[in-house]
Amino acid sequence: MALVTVDGLSFSYPAAPPALRDVSLALEPGEVVALLGPSGSGKTTLLRALAGLVPHFHGGRFAGQVVVAGLDTRRMRPAELAGTVATVFQDPEDQVVMTVVANEIAFGLENLGVEPRAIWPRVERALESLDALHLWGRKTVELSGGELQRVCLASALALEPRLLLLDEPTSQLDPEAATLFLTAVEQLGATVVLSEHRVARALELATRVLFVDGGRVLLDAPRAEAIEWLSAQRPLYTNPCVSETQAPSGAVVAALRGVAYAYRRAMPVLDRVDLELRRGEIVALAGPNGSGKTTLARIAAGLVEPQDGTVALLGRAGYLSQDPGRYLVKESALAEVALAVDGDEQRAGAALDRVGLGWAAGRHPRDLSSGERERLALASVAVAEPDLLVLDEPTRGLDPERKVALGDWLQEYAASGKAVLVATHDRDLPAHRRIGLCVSETQAFEERSVGV
Amino acid sequence: MSPAPAAALLAATGAAALLTERLWAVALLAGVLLGVCLQAPPGRRGVYLFGALTSGFGVLVLSPFLWSSPDGTILWEGATIPVLGPLDVTTTELSEAALNALRLTALGLAFAAYALLLDHDRLVAAAGVARRSALAVALATRLVPSLERDAAGLAESVRGRGIRLEGVRGYATLLSPLVAGSLERATNLAEAMEARGFGRPGFTRAPRPPWSVRDRLALALAALLVLVAALWL
Repeated sequence: MALVTVDGLSFSYPAAPPALRDVSLALEPGEVVALLGPSGSGKTTLLRALAGLVPHFHGGRFAGQVVVAGLDTRRMRPAELAGTVATVFQDPEDQVVMTVVANEIAFGLENLGVEPRAIWPRVERALESLDALHLWGRKTVELSGGELQRVCLASALALEPRLLLLDEPTSQLDPEAATLFLTAVEQLGATVVLSEHRVARALELATRVLFVDGGRVLLDAPRAEAIEWLSAQRPLYTNPCVSETQAPSGAVVAALRGVAYAYRRAMPVLDRVDLELRRGEIVALAGPNGSGKTTLARIAAGLVEPQDGTVALLGRAGYLSQDPGRYLVKESALAEVALAVDGDEQRAGAALDRVGLGWAAGRHPRDLSSGERERLALASVAVAEPDLLVLDEPTRGLDPERKVALGDWLQEYAASGKAVLVATHDRDLPAHRRIGLCVSETQAFEERSVGV
Repeated sequence: MSPAPAAALLAATGAAALLTERLWAVALLAGVLLGVCLQAPPGRRGVYLFGALTSGFGVLVLSPFLWSSPDGTILWEGATIPVLGPLDVTTTELSEAALNALRLTALGLAFAAYALLLDHDRLVAAAGVARRSALAVALATRLVPSLERDAAGLAESVRGRGIRLEGVRGYATLLSPLVAGSLERATNLAEAMEARGFGRPGFTRAPRPPWSVRDRLALALAALLVLVAALWL
């Protein structure tokens, strides 16, 4: 018997066009379903509907029926479905309730009325399964984005749900942590719906694939058949085809020498780091969560002074932070982008077109989906064409087609004589050099050149 | 010390400051609370101490003009303002202003100590039947540091676009997005809490360490403090 049945589901948020149109499907126990589709296609809304958050929490027009483990989501509140269903949302920063990691994971278990003696062992098991036991007593505000995402995932795993809904769960995880998480998910034995833009990883785990576009399910097929369909219809989902470029040797635009930084005494995030960025090149910063990628990126952009060492910036720098919510200052997308070019709407419009958001020029930035906000933020920073463009996890929320477009655009940008520094876990982005930062050996700053 | 007795002690100190009529006693309580607040990390305590001290200072400066007493010696006499009446400052008004200013400062400092030094998770756990209210208070308490972080993040992102923020007017432009972002975050958090079963009947509590002798003594001291302030000070 199916664990989930969705029958003729259509949904529109208040005063918005339909987000889901006539979706019908059934999920069997133990199935792992990869939910794919472009940004803004309705993936998140479908996950919300499966958790009962649509329509209870968001309001809007709901038609059809969703039944999870025999419970009709129209009649049961999401809190009553919790435990049977666990959801990990896109943005880990917005999900954390408690101040200490262990308490955060225990929070859901307490809500479900789990036997008190069983709570701490379950918290421990969940953290252990993600190799995150060291985070047990840490304060949640002190964690990096990736560490926080692991905590949110552990919170969901601890509930031992029958249906696990994951909305871009590995977007901020380093490859090792992502693999570990997906293994833990596999071992859980639950029905899993995984919305993920890192398609290769999702397809590796999935037994079945759903492809959503424009609120409709275009494909619902077993993995092998789905890969065939994707190869024919959406080739970039199965083959990101990163194009090649030649390593340039332009003038230096930023030089960091012996840079050191510590958030807490005796715990340096960066220790004597050297980095040189040249015009025409794309440099990717990689490394596990908490290894100091963001800190180094902010120092390179001139936003943070290093506690030791020097930074020579020979030109103007622009910085795109990990959180696209920080780029929502104005009342329309066009005004948002125009902010950096003294209100020049022509340049702003061109920048919006370049990221595929020309249609959203008059929309309020907060009405955009997470992937669209990411692109808006990129346009807002890049519109001024800084000599050094620093991007922190720019592929978060981007579908494979947008990601390839971003890669192509970065290469064009670099070829126009600018330098690009990208802090990313995503190896699909092109780079002339990839630099790895280590957590434990902060002095060991390994650098190697690789072909794109 | 466990956070629940510590919170009771802070609340009792604040209550004692309100109950006592003696200036030296309120000053002593405010001084003790200031000492407690100074135990917090320097980077975090600034905004709380600023709030507590400036609000007290504001009361000290304004209240002699807004509240009139016929007693005491007139130290200064000004014009007569419609609605407010004659502007003057007497020794009695000054003494009352100092008392109220210190009371408000003590309350602000008690809140600062609560926000900066207590483990709010354990307070929520200790709240028992009032868990929802305790959690709401804990989340509201986190609003100050979270707004501070968001403001810093917004300012940094604006600088990252090559825009210079100058003066009060420059930073004021970030106020509206800051509030909008904060509301959006609150909605997202509420959604995540609902999805994790918050509000369901029959919740349990993870086992916590039992209260020590020190915790019980702190609770007794809290009760004693209120009693002494109400009856003898």
